[in-house]
Amino acid sequence: MAAIGSLHNDVIHDAVLDYYGKRLATCSSDKTIKIFEIDGDNHKLIETLQGHEGPVWQVSWAHPKFGVILASCSFDGKVLIWREDESTKNWSNIAQHATHTESVNCVQWSPPELGAVLVCGSSDGNVSVVEFNDDGNTSAVTIHAHSGAVYAAVWAVSGTVTKRFATGGSDGLIKIWTYDAASNNYVEEAVLEGHSDWVRDLAWAPSVLPKAYLASASEDKTVIIWTQEQSNAAWKKQVLKAPGGDKFPETVWRVSWSLSGNVLAVSCGDNKITLWKENLKGEWEECGSIDE
Amino acid sequence: MVKLKEIPRTATFAWSPGAQLPFIATGTVAGAVDADFSSKSVLELWDLNLVDKSTNGFQLSSPVVSVGTDARFHDLIWGAVNTSHPNGIIAGAQENGTLVLWDPDALTKDPNSSPLLSSTQHTGAIKSLDFNTVQANLLASAGSKGEILVWDLDKPGSPLTPGTASSRLDEVESVAWNSSVAHILATGGNTGFTSIWDLKNKREVLHLFYPGSGGGGRRGVSSVVWHPDNSTKLITASEDDNAPVILMWDLRNANAPEKILSGHDKGILSLSWCKRDGDLLLSSGKDNRTLLWNPQSGDVLGEFPIATNWTFETRWYDRNPELFATASFDGKISVQSIQNANKPDQVAAAPKPEGNDFWNAPSYVDTQQPTFSLKQPPRWLRRPVGASFGFGGKLVSLQLDKSQTPATKSTVKINRFVIEPKSASETEKFKE
Repeated sequence: MAAIGSLHNDVIHDAVLDYYGKRLATCSSDKTIKIFEIDGDNHKLIETLQGHEGPVWQVSWAHPKFGVILASCSFDGKVLIWREDESTKNWSNIAQHATHTESVNCVQWSPPELGAVLVCGSSDGNVSVVEFNDDGNTSAVTIHAHSGAVYAAVWAVSGTVTKRFATGGSDGLIKIWTYDAASNNYVEEAVLEGHSDWVRDLAWAPSVLPKAYLASASEDKTVIIWTQEQSNAAWKKQVLKAPGGDKFPETVWRVSWSLSGNVLAVSCGDNKITLWKENLKGEWEECGSIDE
Repeated sequence: MVKLKEIPRTATFAWSPGAQLPFIATGTVAGAVDADFSSKSVLELWDLNLVDKSTNGFQLSSPVVSVGTDARFHDLIWGAVNTSHPNGIIAGAQENGTLVLWDPDALTKDPNSSPLLSSTQHTGAIKSLDFNTVQANLLASAGSKGEILVWDLDKPGSPLTPGTASSRLDEVESVAWNSSVAHILATGGNTGFTSIWDLKNKREVLHLFYPGSGGGGRRGVSSVVWHPDNSTKLITASEDDNAPVILMWDLRNANAPEKILSGHDKGILSLSWCKRDGDLLLSSGKDNRTLLWNPQSGDVLGEFPIATNWTFETRWYDRNPELFATASFDGKISVQSIQNANKPDQVAAAPKPEGNDFWNAPSYVDTQQPTFSLKQPPRWLRRPVGASFGFGGKLVSLQLDKSQTPATKSTVKINRFVIEPKSASETEKFKE
């Protein structure tokens, strides 16, 4: 287990391994992003990316078929795209998306089959979907997703690849959006009500089966697992039984699925991370944790 | 910071508490007269419709509900969300001493539906109201003649008094429940005294007084707010034009204020402490200005566009404190956001439709100038913890390094997580 100590000089908000697990990207309130080379238990800082004018909230690695590319979003309202040059190995900022008027809280690359497409959510209530075409220009679509801030936007992962994503916001709602070719825009497919306070994070379980698993983390200290047997069926909800009752001790900030989609990591404001698995009876049980 | 919406009313107001779309309730404010000198008074519900960012959507023209009332309002609050009232209760403090409670859902269905309660226990005007956040059925009201009443909404017929005050009370301008201890109440008024009441023992536990910088001026307390997290801290505001200060008290040593925030040029009329980030405090007053403070450090974080008359009330939207609203005697309630990420030049100034003078009215044109954007992000955005999986059974964990407080460092660990030994060994084989 490699512990990477004080690398940023402020709180870190996201830490993500790349596709092959060889590179780690971290981003922080010190407005920088750091890239590490990971080899077994040791790590080496290879680059510090500067450019954001505010704390950087989230980073997302693009699929390797597009090159070594990272997207980042920040309190400064911008989404920056960074690329490592194949030969010189130097990183540079190759594109910027700055249409939001408030903090951009989340950013995520789409499944590679859809191309190089980013979904970003902002405190101005809007979600923007930015497509980077091969000829270098970009096309962006903006959707007013939530009446308050948007804190989570995640692409759907299912057998058939469709332009579809879920968003969560400060109105406590989760909305599923599907691309409508006629209007060349995304339309609301479903609204999932279940949280009594902000939806902080969403995670769509990677799976090739038609059954979709969507986990949601909320300021109301609960995690809900939403399941849909097959597309346009109804969504069923199941509240995760937390260790001490049905609520976690603090705000639940993040949820993330393992690559095989059967283990859920829940990151709670009490600085503890717990791992959960569905048992044969369909209930979710804790199966591990990471202490401070 | 940019102005999002404007309600053309001279009114006290309250944000909707629930999860649904943001509404603002407005009640014609006492002590002011409209241009047409009409004495009519109305309670109105406005759908902010924030999705409509168009220029003609800027000024809201018509409320969803408008109900005539027999007297004007000093204060309006909207809270006490419970199963019987999923969208809460609206409580109005009227200048004729009447406390009126409405159910917003009932009003929306039928504006002439009668209020839940209309009580005249107060003999003088009611100046201030507050719902108890710990016990949602308790409501406190305070006003003229030193009258302070505590109502149980389940049996509103017999409100209680918190006890006898040590110093003579006169006009009680502000009442506020402690944010975590249900039976502690604070009141402040024109005598300059702030009283702390313990309702269990029905007596005044403490009273706070700040003689100010000498000078015999009247140092009335216009507003009292409790710290959202720390139950022994509160802030009072002075409406004295000679010493317009904001005082932060710690009740563990109540002899003198812990911190004095000066920045306003004239007396302060209203305070609002952000419930989701104790480092954000709004104040507004007779200098027509709305200031944002970090009460902990005492710094002014920023100032919002000046109104053309006293800004007599400012309130955070607790549900989503990216937004707040300020009411001014220039006849407008302006809804604003605390952040405007893009620099002014990037924000395309909204195109002015030609040939229509109405759009060139000052209320529209100058208000689109953002003058301030929050530099430090609010606490609710600063995510401290996370985890993500990686190829080959890796789990990256991100946690605060709590060795120093406040924690300003994080620790990242790459853990190997093995759930089924079977799957872990397969990925090992796969990697060779």
